[in-house]
Amino acid sequence: MSATAAEKTFDELTLGESVQLEDLVDRAALAEMTKSFFDLFRIPLKIFSESGVLLADASEPQALYTYLGTLRQARGALQDVVGTVKAINPGRDGEVTHPDATGAAYRIVAISYDGRRIGRLILGPFLPHNVTEVPRSLNELDPEIDKTKARALLFQLPRAREETVAQIARHLKRTLDLILFSGHKSLLTTNMHLSAVREGYRELQEKNQKLQQAYDRLKELDRLKSNFLATVSHELRTPLTSIIGYSEMLFEGIAGDMSEEQREFVRTIHEKGEQLLELIKGLLDLSKLESGTMNMRKRNVDVAPLVEDVAATLQPAARKKGVELSVDIDGPLTGLWGDPDRLRQVLLNLSENALKFTPPSGQVTLLARNTSMEAAADQEAAGFVLLGTRRPAVELRVADTGIGIPNSERVRVFDAFYQVDSSSTREQGGTGLGLSIVKRLVEAHDGTVRIEDNTPKGTVFVVTIPCRRATIA
Amino acid sequence: MKLDFATRELTIKLVYYGPALSGKTTNLQALHRIASPDATGRLMTLETRDDRTLFFDLLPLTFQDQSGLSVRLKVFTVPGQVIHASTRKLVVQGSDGIVFVADSRLSETQNNADSFMDLKENLKEHGMNLRQLPLVIQFNKRDMPDVRSDEEIAKLAAQGREPVYLAVATRGSGVVESFIGLLHLTWSALDAEHDLNRKFGFDSDAFLAEVAQKLGAKKKLPELLSACVGGALDVLRPEEAAPLR
Repeated sequence: MSATAAEKTFDELTLGESVQLEDLVDRAALAEMTKSFFDLFRIPLKIFSESGVLLADASEPQALYTYLGTLRQARGALQDVVGTVKAINPGRDGEVTHPDATGAAYRIVAISYDGRRIGRLILGPFLPHNVTEVPRSLNELDPEIDKTKARALLFQLPRAREETVAQIARHLKRTLDLILFSGHKSLLTTNMHLSAVREGYRELQEKNQKLQQAYDRLKELDRLKSNFLATVSHELRTPLTSIIGYSEMLFEGIAGDMSEEQREFVRTIHEKGEQLLELIKGLLDLSKLESGTMNMRKRNVDVAPLVEDVAATLQPAARKKGVELSVDIDGPLTGLWGDPDRLRQVLLNLSENALKFTPPSGQVTLLARNTSMEAAADQEAAGFVLLGTRRPAVELRVADTGIGIPNSERVRVFDAFYQVDSSSTREQGGTGLGLSIVKRLVEAHDGTVRIEDNTPKGTVFVVTIPCRRATIA
Repeated sequence: MKLDFATRELTIKLVYYGPALSGKTTNLQALHRIASPDATGRLMTLETRDDRTLFFDLLPLTFQDQSGLSVRLKVFTVPGQVIHASTRKLVVQGSDGIVFVADSRLSETQNNADSFMDLKENLKEHGMNLRQLPLVIQFNKRDMPDVRSDEEIAKLAAQGREPVYLAVATRGSGVVESFIGLLHLTWSALDAEHDLNRKFGFDSDAFLAEVAQKLGAKKKLPELLSACVGGALDVLRPEEAAPLR
């Protein structure tokens, strides 16, 4: 597979799995650099990639090798030398000097990056400084060799001390390392730019697709909901409205006078009809909350007017029952984020409940104040030290002096249709849906609802709704 | 983690995560400064003009174990600013351990929490979660005014699961401790999963001690490891960890 640098994954590029010399350097620039080295030191220089590709070659034909190339046997021997030098393994990060038959030598140096060899540079041939005599191996290269000419040409080879060559090699390596580092860095930068753009595009695509799906689903749900609502309101409410209406007319004597007992029966029919209507409405709410189709129109909620409005709504009923209904608002309450209609419903349900269970000459108090709440416990329990912080919230308390709720019942009262004492239902009325609706509405606001004791007697429902989180996005 | 049996090379990826300007790059710079030259390569910083990390920093560290296993640690940072979300997601992929660098200042509490949620979100997208992934938390900038007190951090840390370190990265304090703490957790986790100690005849304590020494730590290993407050330095084995939710 011929993956180009841009197609490599982030891991491949950063974990050094497949960094290649060819990817990191520009060949033309590398050739320029090697040429400049050659001009300076006159020692031939070749750079090979790890896969053996010649990337740069700075050398001039050496007269000795040109001459030896004209001799049949010597030519063969020298070709072998080139092959041998190329195959020498200088280790991961080492260097090796290899002499050839002429007495000249090659310095083979590993080019490593990030602890891995990615290529080799070969300096030479050069004549080591300590070679002052023609080695016998040169004269024996070919039976037809002209020894005088070979000697003259041998000493025309570039001469250098081995230490000098080692120093040159080191310097070259450092220069190359810097080039490789810069190359790697810009390769990564380019790649990150590409990836960022690609990721951004992918996210947009994904979002688009999700939006489309959500839109389709919503359209379908909307259709189903409309159907359901139409059915329920038609099938349940229409006959019920008739029942309520006719019973009301009967009660008012439109169809003729009735005995006291008959009037009592009809009144009961009328009352229960109204109750049934409430129950149907509650069920509709509950099904919407459970299916998540309850529309929440969240905005900043001004709490004080909301509480006062609920109190005003219930004041007549309270007065009729002889219960004192009061409001206590502590401080400016700002920043509450929610659906005002639904929060009103929460408060109204709780207050109606409180009123229902408070005997005459008792008290019901609606309190609102600023508070803070623990951020929800994390499912992985990780990072508690960072997340276990409090956020501002508004607390709504509905306190009554009624019969109270035993500790053991305090969780279950929020279940749909649950009544603490079913005998009280007959006495107090109620559908058993109010509190479960309250709980689901509060949860839809990321809030909590709990029950506390009211001293000396009665119950306090405490609803805590978080304020909008300040975000830095 | 990448394991090459042929060359006996193990590559481990560690990531410094955290909100903008909490000192992630400073941590890497401190490590680079104190690490002995034979163990560290160049610190690569892909930075913007205003001196903040644009994409990431990358510090390569290489250690040789007596068993002949060459352990290559690639230490990354992520850009903290909110806008670089896709880069963070890319960098965090395939990481073997995370140091979360939090800013100790009280005013940064929300930013720390947001960044941590962002980390969890990004891990989730790669099918990873913090139940399995080794994590240490570093409270940096202990020398600044208006910071969360040591007592408060200790109290909160005691309720959490991950080791918490206190640091002043600009002075190099707490940097090695956090790093060694994470390396210990990461190694234990990788060993639990891949049985590395047995397969390679690897002595993890000796290895950690050598890393600490190459990082110029004056303290002994147990002392370094116990520098954390709260949390646990032992690792859940995969079979004990709860399944992904």
